[in-house]
Amino acid sequence: MSKAIKRKDFVQGDEAIAEGAIAAGCRYFAGYPITPASEIAECLSKRMPEVGGVAMQMEDELASIHSIGGASVAGMKAMTVSSGPGISLKLEGLGWGIKNELPYVVVDVQRAGPSNGVATRVAQGDLYTVKYGSAGGNNSIIAVSPMSVQEAFNLTIECFNLAEIFRTPVFLLADETVGHTRELLEIPEDSEIELVERKKPTVPPEEFLMYPMETPEVINYPYPNIGEGYGICVSPYTHTSRGYATEAEKDHDKMAQRFVKKLTENLDLLTRCEEEMMEDAEYAVIAYGCEARPALEAVKQARQAGIKAGFMRPIIVWPFPDEPVYKVASKVKKILVPELNRDGQLSREVARAAKGQAEVYHLGSGGVETHQPSQILEEFKRIIK
Amino acid sequence: MKTQEDMAGLIHPLAAKYLRTERLPHKACPGCGIGQVVHCTLNVCEDLNLNADNTVWVQGVGCSSRISYTLWKGDNIDAHHGRILTVATGMKMSRPDLNFICFTGDGDCCSIGGNHFLHACRRNLDVTTLMFNNSIYGMTGGQVAPTSPVGAKTPTTPYGNMEDPMDTVNVAIAAGAAYVARWRSTDFKQLTNSIKKGIQTKGFSFIEILVPCPTQYGRYVLGTSNPIEVVQWYKDHTVTLKKSEKMSPEELKGKFLLGEFAHNEDRTGIVERYWDAVKKIQDGRK
Ligand code: SF4
Repeated sequence: MSKAIKRKDFVQGDEAIAEGAIAAGCRYFAGYPITPASEIAECLSKRMPEVGGVAMQMEDELASIHSIGGASVAGMKAMTVSSGPGISLKLEGLGWGIKNELPYVVVDVQRAGPSNGVATRVAQGDLYTVKYGSAGGNNSIIAVSPMSVQEAFNLTIECFNLAEIFRTPVFLLADETVGHTRELLEIPEDSEIELVERKKPTVPPEEFLMYPMETPEVINYPYPNIGEGYGICVSPYTHTSRGYATEAEKDHDKMAQRFVKKLTENLDLLTRCEEEMMEDAEYAVIAYGCEARPALEAVKQARQAGIKAGFMRPIIVWPFPDEPVYKVASKVKKILVPELNRDGQLSREVARAAKGQAEVYHLGSGGVETHQPSQILEEFKRIIK
Repeated sequence: MKTQEDMAGLIHPLAAKYLRTERLPHKACPGCGIGQVVHCTLNVCEDLNLNADNTVWVQGVGCSSRISYTLWKGDNIDAHHGRILTVATGMKMSRPDLNFICFTGDGDCCSIGGNHFLHACRRNLDVTTLMFNNSIYGMTGGQVAPTSPVGAKTPTTPYGNMEDPMDTVNVAIAAGAAYVARWRSTDFKQLTNSIKKGIQTKGFSFIEILVPCPTQYGRYVLGTSNPIEVVQWYKDHTVTLKKSEKMSPEELKGKFLLGEFAHNEDRTGIVERYWDAVKKIQDGRK
């Protein structure tokens, strides 16, 4: 069934992210100028007042992420965006969001690093950064990665929905190529967009537990905001169900388990992959984000050359799709993982999930340019020889 | 048997009305001045009818914050170290109708949160900031602070502090705060008045409170952990703005000035300007 379209436009991925946020009901944005994410901030600075929302250019990256934390506590759907060294700074605030189960969205338009690197050019160096960058472990981070402008819009909405369902910060793990590519964007009518709104408690404040440690309901749990009479307690310290600081090991472990269980017990809601030509595949290429585009093209060309090749793309990259990757690995002999870093980040995850069922090969690059389909095809042919 | 409420009544007559009695007694050291600030704030609650429906309590990290965190009935929002005013920005912009009272310390506000402090003043964000200045890092064990005096020997300045302390009040004024005052925690009347004024002032209010810290500042810098001697030191090293006018620079050396340093409500702040602009932009689109 085709959706009713409100607007069709030829726009950049960054603009699609901004429009996705507006469509998702985001009404608080805070950012700090940084290439290649600035266009999102520029777009939202214009759009937010039009829809009765707030757009703030804060004094730095730390202020941006903490102010969206504050806005989230105040009941707003909130977002910040950044890239490269800006993301490194944002991580300081992320722990506060995870620990207090704040629904908000952080967009990482990945660029080539480390450090300032090549500010205007693409890379995929932040796969682990977004998941494990916040010190202290025990995290509930979800990350979603788009490969096109339309997906940048759709998945931004998805990020806001997941943030509300799971009460956690969610990353949109985009990249410079997606952010700066101009493509057709179709914005559906509002009625066609499914939104998740924050659940409110149904019990009186005395009975309400802000962070229930004993309940199996780790998701879809209500979140009252400031000024609603619930006397909410938000802090950086390990807390009890009421939000009071505690140093007891058992309390701390319960909290840690709660965060991790949110993901591990709800993988059905968090598994999203795309597969092409996998039915009879003997070899596979797995890629995410912008790299998925040349990867898919390379697989198509391999098929034309008579190779039984298949393609897989994780869309929700965290939690990592262990199960689907294992299934692919069980089916094929070899897997090639093209990605824009020399660390072998995605390929390491794929190898871990494959559990020895297939040989996993890394095709890396430091970034700046995505791989050409021909480069991927050439490497593919080499490894399957 | 005495109830929690009865016990709270022994601590302060207003405690049961405004504080979470299950969180009492609070964790300040004996002789600490933080409780005195809580006392003054309780009086303000009563005078201005601050309650869970109209006021949010915001804290940072440090003695100032840990001791006042989850103490208040109503919402208690405790930020990362230094980030209190950024969290307050997000909340105030989203809920301009609520009062935000921010408890921060000298390290929290001027050191790790220094940049945010400048910009909250510059934006003239309509929140009330109470900065507890004990001139040292109390909670972490008495390390030097950007407010410690030159020469102060602390665990991280074993040869004496080589840096000048920050002139916090003048920084706040220069950066654009609407209301700026400094008192000692023992100046109950003046401090209570200032907190009230701060809340009533539209724009950023910065109230610095000199808080005697016998445990760390007394021990390391003054060489005494006796609260009475520490309070006496503050008595000897402070002078009111009015008195200072008749004193020479030599006489004023090493002394904190007390009083109101700025009260300027002519300049509008970000909250008002932003939401006025939204109204205009939306009207323009109709
Ligand atoms: S360390 Fe100092 S400031 Fe902190 S609670 Fe003790 S006396 Fe007060």
